[in-house]
Amino acid sequence: MTLRSPTSAMLWGLWRVTRVEAALRLAVGVVLPLAALTLFAVFAPSETAEWDEDIKNIATLLLFLPHLVPWSSHARLNHFTRPIRTATMVGLPTAYLIAMSVAIYLVSAFLLKVTSGHPFSLLPAAAWIAALHLAFGPIGWWTRNMVVVMLGMLVVLFTWGSVAGSRLHSFPNDVDYPLTDYALIALFGLVCFSVAVFAAARARRGDAHSMSAWTPGSGLWEWAINLFRFPCPTSSATRAQIWLDLKANGFPVLMIGVVLAIVILLLSAIGNPIDAAFQDEIRARLSCSNSDCFWARAWPVFFTGLSLLIALSLARNAFGIRSRYGRTYVSAFETTQACGTTQLAALKVLVKSCCVLAAIIAIGVSVWISVPLLGDPVFIQMFNVPLSSRLPAISGAIAALTVYEQLSLVVLAIGGVVIWVAACAVIGALRVRHSRRVYIAASSPLLFGLALVLVGTAQGEGIVSPSVFFAMLAAARWIFLAALAAMVLTTVYVFWIGFAERVLTIRYASAAVAISAAFGAAWLTVLHMAGVQLAWMSAIAAVSILSPALLPPFFSVLAPWSLHRIRHL
Amino acid sequence: MEQTIVDVNDLSRMFASKRALDGVSFRATAGQVYGLVGANGAGKTTLLKHLLGLLRAATGSVRVFGLDPVRDPVGVLSRVGYLSEERELPEWMRIDELMAYTQAFHPTWDTSYARELLNTFALDPSKKIKELSKGMRAQAGLLVAVAHRPELLILDEPSSGLDAVVRRDILDAIVRTVADDGRTVIFSSHLLDEVERMSDHVTLMHNGRITLSGALDEVRRGYQRSRVRFVEHFDQPPSLDTALAMEGGGRTWSVVHSGSLEQFNHSVLALGGEVVESRDATLEEIFLARAGRSRQQVEAA
Repeated sequence: MTLRSPTSAMLWGLWRVTRVEAALRLAVGVVLPLAALTLFAVFAPSETAEWDEDIKNIATLLLFLPHLVPWSSHARLNHFTRPIRTATMVGLPTAYLIAMSVAIYLVSAFLLKVTSGHPFSLLPAAAWIAALHLAFGPIGWWTRNMVVVMLGMLVVLFTWGSVAGSRLHSFPNDVDYPLTDYALIALFGLVCFSVAVFAAARARRGDAHSMSAWTPGSGLWEWAINLFRFPCPTSSATRAQIWLDLKANGFPVLMIGVVLAIVILLLSAIGNPIDAAFQDEIRARLSCSNSDCFWARAWPVFFTGLSLLIALSLARNAFGIRSRYGRTYVSAFETTQACGTTQLAALKVLVKSCCVLAAIIAIGVSVWISVPLLGDPVFIQMFNVPLSSRLPAISGAIAALTVYEQLSLVVLAIGGVVIWVAACAVIGALRVRHSRRVYIAASSPLLFGLALVLVGTAQGEGIVSPSVFFAMLAAARWIFLAALAAMVLTTVYVFWIGFAERVLTIRYASAAVAISAAFGAAWLTVLHMAGVQLAWMSAIAAVSILSPALLPPFFSVLAPWSLHRIRHL
Repeated sequence: MEQTIVDVNDLSRMFASKRALDGVSFRATAGQVYGLVGANGAGKTTLLKHLLGLLRAATGSVRVFGLDPVRDPVGVLSRVGYLSEERELPEWMRIDELMAYTQAFHPTWDTSYARELLNTFALDPSKKIKELSKGMRAQAGLLVAVAHRPELLILDEPSSGLDAVVRRDILDAIVRTVADDGRTVIFSSHLLDEVERMSDHVTLMHNGRITLSGALDEVRRGYQRSRVRFVEHFDQPPSLDTALAMEGGGRTWSVVHSGSLEQFNHSVLALGGEVVESRDATLEEIFLARAGRSRQQVEAA
């Protein structure tokens, strides 16, 4: 391949490093809104008029979701030592990322428009996204302090959200900018670009540090690691390994969870006074269905969802897999320590799970305290549920359960988090060894789901025969059963090969069986509490509803085996 | 009888279509220092990673202390000290934390020796790894690799990043101390003078194969460098028995050759020349001659 100019070389490099992230953003922008629309189409209540509007608003928010965070993968390309002007060094990646974001948005919005028939905003929304990414630019070039970067992002999101809100005719799709706004966006872009070039020039001559790609072990993460200082125990290898995993992988997650919990609490506390102070302005801009209009009080609700997503996303990479220059690998430092693979995998997954669970509990406690502060009208208008006044009833219902039932709920919650952490770790490890197969395996159900939605929509429009749609639904059921059978076979095979290769030990296997049995019993108890009668179900339905009980044995054998596969390549 | 520490038999390994190791057999005994030499991509690091169990043998076998490092990582790694080429250490860790963490895995950790090395290297225990220079990182890695007095010390490019003083005085001293204690050192290096200085045995690797292996003195004795003068003018290097590499032109050529000097003399006389002077070849000359020859063989194939 011949690249004839620095510009084409830079664009080629940008495409190479950002293509996976671009695919991910496109997938999120298409799959999540489509899933929301499909779920609504399948489970829609009879009085759909209001729900229809709500679900389309949620779909729009999900459509915007991938564009609310700056790109990260391009930071792996450092052009500081290339013979190019600083303006080119900043301008070309900025233009490329904006073009990519806009293209991704337009493609996903167009696809959703075709499938759902809903008029998702195209040009004004694309302009808003372009301006947002222009504003992210200077922040990234100015500092590599993650706290400042995150605060800057929040300020930009808040400001830009307000700008869009001021031109909002009906939330969230009918946004219309006058020409003067487009001129202002262009002027704003010019200012942002100038600031970014200035900041990049400082960083280029070594007067400041610019943002590098976020990796565990740098920035905010490292700050969190060093926040908790306690000496490494030297009395045993297990304790030392727990210390390392707590410091490197656990406490930062817990700390971020606590910070998110505090932010939810603060947003809830200031929501009431803000809404009260700007009641008239809010009433003038938003159509309120009840007497109490709110705007600031909606933020904690959205932020809670975002916080849970953040907490769950931080659960990934329990094995500490690194990525550098496109190569993924596990650190030789840890893998050359005299520690058994099974013990290493179990410690890493359990330590991370404990900290993720603690972070989620912190967020949960914060939400529990915040709900009464927000009051019922917010939840009635958003979810049609007076959540605030129902809290005592919820507490009473939990207290009315037997100890065994309460214990089952706790086991399920803990087991769910551990399974999630183990699943992320296993997928990450398998990706190192068999990246193409993992991507195919992960994208196949997504593509099948997408095809199902498209065929379902086409069938609704009368383009495709209903028999095709129902055949696909039947196929989905059989694919699910085949996947369950594959899970069982994989569990048995890995169990056998794990012992043959001396990866698994009797002690570990016994613990895994005991935990799986406890999870299975808890799952049956919860099904019984929910009034599910397995005896009245068809065999396929019963197998499907019992399938979550297969997850603990599956991941408990797969976690050490997958770590073994990347420890000894 | 010499105790075998490492026993590698007919080991092969492919990375995609590239053959990284091709039928490698290697044996290391207690109390000896083994130097692995080879060009980039020769397979030195791949071989060392097999000894640590970081790579599993595709064909052939690897035994360290009589154990398979993949099936019994704890049994092998608890007796091995390792310094990786990339000096991969957790960036956030302080040096004292690194020492404490490593100590926990090795009951044989020698606190006073660790303290002594810390002073020798003049490392600040409260410094984080990320704050260290490349050379200081190498020193920290070396410290935790040797402070538990491992039975087998594996060093991958140990001099990379070290200054000349540390390389010549400290690294040499550490390696000699380990060997004198009856323990074994296997190290890879690009620096032939270092291998010549530190090793008892040298193994030359090229394109995934061992092209030369033996005790350093024997290896050096087996190769000579001779200056040859011919009556006739040669535009191309003349064909001489046992010659591995030739440089020069016209009537005078410098030749690195193996085998007996007598056999070489006959070969030169047959072409109407004479050997003007001859001496033992240096390791560098042997390496260049062997690597060059292998390259020609590969190209010819």
